[in-house]
Amino acid sequence: MRLANLSFRYARRAPWVLHDVDLDLPPGTIAEVTGRNGAGKSTLLRLLAGTARPTRGSITARPPVVGYAPEIFPVAQPFTVTAYLSHMAAVRGIPATTIGPWAERLGMTSLLDVPLGDLSKGSAHKVGLAQALLAPPGLLILDEPFSGLDEQTRAELPALVDEVAAAGGIVVVSDHQNGLAGHPGVTHLTLENGTAHASGATRPATSGQSIIEILVDTGDAEAVTQKLQAEGYDARLQGEAP
Amino acid sequence: MRPTMSLARFKFAGYLRSHRVIQPFVGLLGVMIILYSMRVPLGQELSSYADSAALLVPVFAWAARGLLDTEPDVQRLISSTAAGRPGREVAAGLIAAAAVNIVLAALALAIPLIIGFTAMPGAPVLLGGLVLQVFSLLTGTALGALASRPILRDPATSALTMLGAYAAILLVSLVPITWLTVPVIAWMRAAHTPASLNQSLAGLSAITVFWCAAALLAYTYLRRTRP
Repeated sequence: MRLANLSFRYARRAPWVLHDVDLDLPPGTIAEVTGRNGAGKSTLLRLLAGTARPTRGSITARPPVVGYAPEIFPVAQPFTVTAYLSHMAAVRGIPATTIGPWAERLGMTSLLDVPLGDLSKGSAHKVGLAQALLAPPGLLILDEPFSGLDEQTRAELPALVDEVAAAGGIVVVSDHQNGLAGHPGVTHLTLENGTAHASGATRPATSGQSIIEILVDTGDAEAVTQKLQAEGYDARLQGEAP
Repeated sequence: MRPTMSLARFKFAGYLRSHRVIQPFVGLLGVMIILYSMRVPLGQELSSYADSAALLVPVFAWAARGLLDTEPDVQRLISSTAAGRPGREVAAGLIAAAAVNIVLAALALAIPLIIGFTAMPGAPVLLGGLVLQVFSLLTGTALGALASRPILRDPATSALTMLGAYAAILLVSLVPITWLTVPVIAWMRAAHTPASLNQSLAGLSAITVFWCAAALLAYTYLRRTRP
């Protein structure tokens, strides 16, 4: 999946939320989007999911099956969890029998007959995750997926993300809660001033290698990284501190 | 087509389970009481169907707008990713809105047969009534879609725009040039007898379908940047 010269603004004379974003997200990528509030993270996720159209530029080779779990799941709907997920399964053209295993894995079996409006924040979030995962997604978009989740599901989520990536899917996560902190193989996308900076995937250190942490002024970060890379070290810029 | 129809069923089910479904039925009841509290004299049945079609445009619009506004904004995003592309979400909304309005139109055709007409009218009157209700249903669905939340976010602005547009359609269609808007008054004038309706049907259909198609295309176009 490739984003080329992607720019977006909400109205003709509105300021650009994103401009000239170029990104390549090959199959199996796990990307974590970070940035300050209002930096355009949710907008980027919606553009990736295909629910918003780029004002300029293009997104090509988007996988056909997209799972989108919103930051806040909309509970103001007159359905029980089962009825809602059954409808979503029907829309995706998959049998309702796929609901059970996901309900079990996300720890929400006891919630299946509960009306959406009666769910707690964390439980509603699980329904949002379940509907995104019902059909194996080629592109999984998770907007703040760790928000409000219980410990068990928080621990389960990185494994789910890995499974989707291992099956060739692309996973893009907006994550303020640092739920994927230290997770191997994550590409970091930092949104700043409307553009995205990608820094390479953090591969786990192998035997005989060590990781050193260097804190530098933001203005010097890129130069220091390049200097270390020029010396032959495997250096990557992790982005600005929150 | 299957994702679109499944999504239309989801939207229809959500609307039926919400309190919003009551509103257009109250509107329909009001129109039926106004028109059929006195028995319609023999020979006036088609004319009464035309009055009903003209008066029901805002009821159909209210139903379409209510259905499209029932779903939370974020659910529309989820639905559009689940369906595969945003166009299917837009189409599913219009299909579900039309389905609700078909139920309302069927009631508007059947109720006078039970309580309004002195005698059972013949097939030409029933067919004429059906055509007029289809005109009204299309106009109302298009008007309601253009006033729905993705297009007009503020509920007060939306309601006033919708009712204002209906009033404007009525006023403009009073002038003799029938193609200026949906010719609601011309429907009523033409439906004096089945023969006069038949005579004007081709022209009225073309103008009505043209304006409704233009409104629905405008809605579809606007939804491209208003998910």
